[in-house]
Amino acid sequence: MGEKVFMQGNEAMAEAAIRAGCKLFFGYPITPSSEVPEYYSKAMRERPEENIMFIQGETETSVFNMIAGAVSMGHRAMTATAGPGFSLGQEAMSFMSAADLPAVIVEVMRPGPADGEILPSQGDYFQATRGGGHGDYNNLVLAPYSIQELVEITQESFELAEKYHNPVVILSDAMLAKLHESVELPGYVTNEPAPEDKYNALGGFDPAKRDKHVVATCGRGAVHWHAFNERLQAKFKKIAENEVRYETYNLEDADIVLVAFGCYSRVCISAMKMAREAGIKVGMIRPISLWPFPEKAFEGLDGKQFLVCELNAGQMVQDVKLSVKNKDDVHFYGMLGGIVPTPKEIFEQIKKIEVK
Amino acid sequence: MKLEMLFSGIGGQGIMRLGEILCDAAIKSGYLVTFSPFYGQEKRGGRTMCNIVISEEVESPIISEAQVMLIMDERSLADYSYQLSPEGTLILNSSMIESTPDVKCKRIDRVPFYGMAQELGNTKTANMVALGYVMKYLPEIDKDVVIECVKAGFAGKPKLIPLNVKAFEAGYNYEA
Repeated sequence: MGEKVFMQGNEAMAEAAIRAGCKLFFGYPITPSSEVPEYYSKAMRERPEENIMFIQGETETSVFNMIAGAVSMGHRAMTATAGPGFSLGQEAMSFMSAADLPAVIVEVMRPGPADGEILPSQGDYFQATRGGGHGDYNNLVLAPYSIQELVEITQESFELAEKYHNPVVILSDAMLAKLHESVELPGYVTNEPAPEDKYNALGGFDPAKRDKHVVATCGRGAVHWHAFNERLQAKFKKIAENEVRYETYNLEDADIVLVAFGCYSRVCISAMKMAREAGIKVGMIRPISLWPFPEKAFEGLDGKQFLVCELNAGQMVQDVKLSVKNKDDVHFYGMLGGIVPTPKEIFEQIKKIEVK
Repeated sequence: MKLEMLFSGIGGQGIMRLGEILCDAAIKSGYLVTFSPFYGQEKRGGRTMCNIVISEEVESPIISEAQVMLIMDERSLADYSYQLSPEGTLILNSSMIESTPDVKCKRIDRVPFYGMAQELGNTKTANMVALGYVMKYLPEIDKDVVIECVKAGFAGKPKLIPLNVKAFEAGYNYEA
């Protein structure tokens, strides 16, 4: 850990990525993620000794494919985009998961569908956690709630992507991206393996280091493709077993449990404090890994009421319903269009819940 | 300490700069600080607003009620006065706001930020006059720390530092 600075979410994230050894940034500007490519283009000019490279693609479609190329050669590479750009990248996301390519993608959510608005939203939860592209695959999806957690997750994401040979999606949003906050920037990562020592196309040709690894993602008949998919599923199972992350607050005596993720969960934390002061026993579960979803956080909580708060029409609430014993105990409070409820407004929703 | 604030004005008035300098000073004083800017899609002339939360624990960056609300123009007053805490303080730029708002709060201070900045010779310093005045309500943060942050905020244009520090002092010493 290094110095404490006052920084914007997007910019702090970009700096953390540079320090994680991500020297290649491919991007296409889109609000609310544009400060990330801006930061990289400035760093490329002002810090020549660090060999930073920023390329603006002609569209996100090419940007995501540039990442596929860069990571398949063992280099750390990323992009940051918003929903419309993430949609254009889905073909490449599906390919990279199948081809075992360790991309890191930052998705700064804004309200859709279509062009929508440039305000905070969590409407891309399904797109990120269900794969988003075609076929049976998963991204490892992490949703930080503060700029501190954002920079730490950013650095770790490159290691996780390389560990599991799979894309990692950092799910940010217009609130976290535009927020300025005190943050202790992490230092430079010094333990990154050399490109030729990583599991990738470049190293795969060195028979002394590992078996031949060919980046190929089309089937040779049903039997071959069944086996290929089984291997992929084993990869996702390993991620699901090892990478469940969440935080819980005041669950012991709670009658009502809030469930929220990302920066919006902080509005719920303040609402929880308001409710506690008013004598209502409220706790909270904050999923950090959205895929794998932290089902086990809900174990032993039968009989409690759950209030899922999201900036969408009800997406994570479905995962919560799959994680609890009684679906009727799950309530939902959603907001659309870019409006962010205040802690007081969530407190009003808490008061409406009948404790059984 | 937990303090929730809302500052609003017209794009170009320097509300965001004011907020950033205040946050910088609060961080240097050991607090957790969040600064949430809200811009319209328009730039100069559009409305700008920010929520600032100074706290000791991780809190919502979105405020429920402002304990300190600084309003620089009539339109912002109409839009945000409902978010003022009944225990809060409303600081109005009386150079641009003539109406008396119908709000429940502890006190309303009317300060001619633009008039004072004009006397100093540059209306662009109205935001630093306002920053100086706002600091009266933040005794936890040392005045000298803020002045250092004002200087740092204008490090790119050192010629402007003395004028802005003077503007800050003028606001700080003003009695409404």
